[in-house]
Amino acid sequence: MTRLVARAWRCTFALALVAAALIAGPAEAQVAQARPVTEAPTGPVTFTQHIAPLLHSRCAQCHHAGGAGPFNLVTFDDARRRAGQLAAVTASGFMPPWKADGHPGEFVAQPRLTPADVAVFAQWAKAPVEGPGTAPVPPIWPQGWYLGPPDLVVTLPAGYTLPGEPSDVFRIFAVPLPVSSTRYVRGIEFHPGNAAVVHHANIRIDRSDGSRRLDQADPAPGYDGLMARSAEYPDGHFLGWTPGQIAPLVDGDLAWRLDPGTDLVVQLHMQASGKPEAVRPTVGFYFGDRPATRTPSILRLGSQGIDIAPGDGRYLVADRYTLPVDTTLLAVQPHAHYRAVDVTGTATFPDGTTRTLIHIGAWDFRWQHVYRYTEPIRLPRGTTLAMRYVYDNAPTNPRNPQTPPARVRWGQRSFDEMGDLWFQLATESPEDRARLGSEVQTKMTTEDLIGLDTMLLSSPDDTELHDDAGVLALLLGRPVVAVGHFRATATLRPTLAAAHYNLGTALTSAGLLDDAVASYEKALALRPDYAVALSNLGDTLVMLGRDQEAVRRYEAAVAADPALPEAHNNLGAALWKRGDVARAERELQRALALRPDYADAYFNLGHVALLIDGARAAAPHFRRAAALKPDWVVASISAAWLLATTAESDVRAPFEAAQLAERAAQLTGRADPRVLDTLAVAYAASGRFDEAVRVAREALAVAGGPLEQDIALRLAMFERGEAFVDKR
Amino acid sequence: MSNAFAPVRLALAAALTLAAAAGSAAQPLVRGLDGAPVAPLSGDTPATVLLFTAADCPISNRYVPEVRRLAASYAAAGVHIWLVYANRGESPVAARAHATAFDYGLPVALDPGGVLADRAGATVTPEAAVFDRAGRLAYLGRIDDRYLDFGVDRPVPTTHDLADALAAVIAGRPVPVARTHAVGCAIVRHEP
Repeated sequence: MTRLVARAWRCTFALALVAAALIAGPAEAQVAQARPVTEAPTGPVTFTQHIAPLLHSRCAQCHHAGGAGPFNLVTFDDARRRAGQLAAVTASGFMPPWKADGHPGEFVAQPRLTPADVAVFAQWAKAPVEGPGTAPVPPIWPQGWYLGPPDLVVTLPAGYTLPGEPSDVFRIFAVPLPVSSTRYVRGIEFHPGNAAVVHHANIRIDRSDGSRRLDQADPAPGYDGLMARSAEYPDGHFLGWTPGQIAPLVDGDLAWRLDPGTDLVVQLHMQASGKPEAVRPTVGFYFGDRPATRTPSILRLGSQGIDIAPGDGRYLVADRYTLPVDTTLLAVQPHAHYRAVDVTGTATFPDGTTRTLIHIGAWDFRWQHVYRYTEPIRLPRGTTLAMRYVYDNAPTNPRNPQTPPARVRWGQRSFDEMGDLWFQLATESPEDRARLGSEVQTKMTTEDLIGLDTMLLSSPDDTELHDDAGVLALLLGRPVVAVGHFRATATLRPTLAAAHYNLGTALTSAGLLDDAVASYEKALALRPDYAVALSNLGDTLVMLGRDQEAVRRYEAAVAADPALPEAHNNLGAALWKRGDVARAERELQRALALRPDYADAYFNLGHVALLIDGARAAAPHFRRAAALKPDWVVASISAAWLLATTAESDVRAPFEAAQLAERAAQLTGRADPRVLDTLAVAYAASGRFDEAVRVAREALAVAGGPLEQDIALRLAMFERGEAFVDKR
Repeated sequence: MSNAFAPVRLALAAALTLAAAAGSAAQPLVRGLDGAPVAPLSGDTPATVLLFTAADCPISNRYVPEVRRLAASYAAAGVHIWLVYANRGESPVAARAHATAFDYGLPVALDPGGVLADRAGATVTPEAAVFDRAGRLAYLGRIDDRYLDFGVDRPVPTTHDLADALAAVIAGRPVPVARTHAVGCAIVRHEP
């Protein structure tokens, strides 16, 4: 039966900053051919010969009128007045803002300078002369959309003004995406609106109302704080913007799905200009014409247990993960805050060789790029991905936000620390993707739970953190841990009905059914018409064998909230168990009217229909249940059993039954005797007796009790070439 | 007075001022936003600050709130803070638009000849020069230690060099650190 956890995810997840790569597509053709200097010139360095080509190809895509840079670097005058500054910032590596090592061309849109280029700027600063000759004609930078006219343009709400200080400000905006039907997005283009202050944008989507509610709670446009946990990278895609970089459109096969009702979530990192600034970015969307067939996957390595002592100048964070399937690495995105100084990601291949995937020797919190590989990297099954970050919490680190340094733990505020390395991986098949996704989800959720525990060390009485931790613990199948967190909330907020409800839910999962009933009763004492609590209490009473009381609770639940599909379904199931099939059928139909894709209700309705009208009426319901939840083993074998063994021979569908049972056998690793028994009867019904005999023997090897005797009888039938027909 | 004569007189005046500045603490000639001459260092005040700035320097701009706080804090003590546009070729139109947009609320000196910058020895924006009542340079350098280099800055400064210098000058004490390194945009000295 379906159990509910009432609270939506609390919104804590954040600051996984993203960016995108690729310089201006359509404009590229017009850009004057760069003449990068490969060795220091022997004669005098001049603007026309040496400096202009470098500026035009490496700097001016941002530093031109209307570009993202704070001043222009196009003409001789532009350059001469900043000759010393050009030498200084290129020597220090501050500009161009590309922080990663790597050979030229390793990454998409890598505006790096060679040491010889840096030497040229240094030499020119000593004598910044112009000629002889004329400088190359500057490129023409496109005004408007680099990627062409968008299919949808969304503008953030007017009315947000960034104050003149403090220096770094983060603000999150949730904006509805006005699409009336499902679209498939190949890319976005972000326009900062006010390039003087918008430093970068971290962009996600929210398929729930989590971000919207946070935004609406703040009267001004947007909100301060953390990104909602429900704000996500869509379908394995990094979104985001850093100055001068626009991610290329992806192939239609990789597009991400945009359903009506989805919100765009934009977290702006802004750097104050010194005066109030209106900020209103615009985002263009580019749609493809078909759903994705090669959706990429996202893997996050990192630690949420970070705890750095004050003064520790060399704190390490490391994590690793071995790939269970063949993949191809498309991009990586490192993320850390102020105190990180050195960031490394590596791959160790099955043959033992190691390759550096990303290394940033002077991490700068302000430049949160996505690094996309020009040549995607094949990572075969068995490759170990690893990350290793170094943090400096000593007083000598100028970027340390605390003076004197303090103990710093993991957290999403910029003064806390984080250490994540995100990977965008393509897989070979949907099965591989599912396998990778399920492992990665568990790994990431486990780490998220560690993060919540870390935050609870500093805020042990934060009930929202406890609630989040409880929900994650339930997802991870650790109900005893969940009980601890929900009990903390219920103790801290004893008059909050939802707290006792959540505790009841976790207690039920932990098998502590009597305690669960007591918790639900407390919730109901505080809120007698609490429909989901009534419904879940009914479930727990069913587990205790107290069916009559359960029906009464379910009835109260549907009375309190007639639109709650779970309550109708569970009431229907309880009535069916008690033999009241006519009422059961009515309740189950109501559940399905409220939720047409409700697999559990179809499954229950199948059983009820079997009792009322027989196999012909039941078959479509079981089929539907199995189709809606292909991984639900019980639904698959129930459908298979009926379709293989029914006495109504024209309802029988042995081939379909075998298919359903084969999938169930695969899902259970051929270790469940009931599933193998079902597969055997399906083979026999198809006339495939050799296989039926083989599978029945397999089933016998793992079966016990009465089932073992039944299987033995059926095995004897198959050996005689007889199929099994269920006469019940 | 003929039109042709005026520039010659101006040039003469500037040359004389420079010569005087090199020799003693006489007042260099610079102009306000309205074109009238101003003399930032002529006031009988316990301390005068020349804050060198530019219309297009992001680091300089980001200090505006701090500069306003300093001006408010030290106004009662009679400290004058002047905003000095020192880039050669900086147009009065651009300077006026900038001073208004950032709402400094400070008196402005246009110094396209670099007279005040030379007097103080300033080379970048933002950079502060503090002169005492006698017109002697008591401090030259950064406002605080927020910026260590381009792209390297502290979230919170750990020293407040300009404020410390002002406090010392007002109290008649020697400035503890009279010269500091300012990070910012080079003051443009070449002819446009």
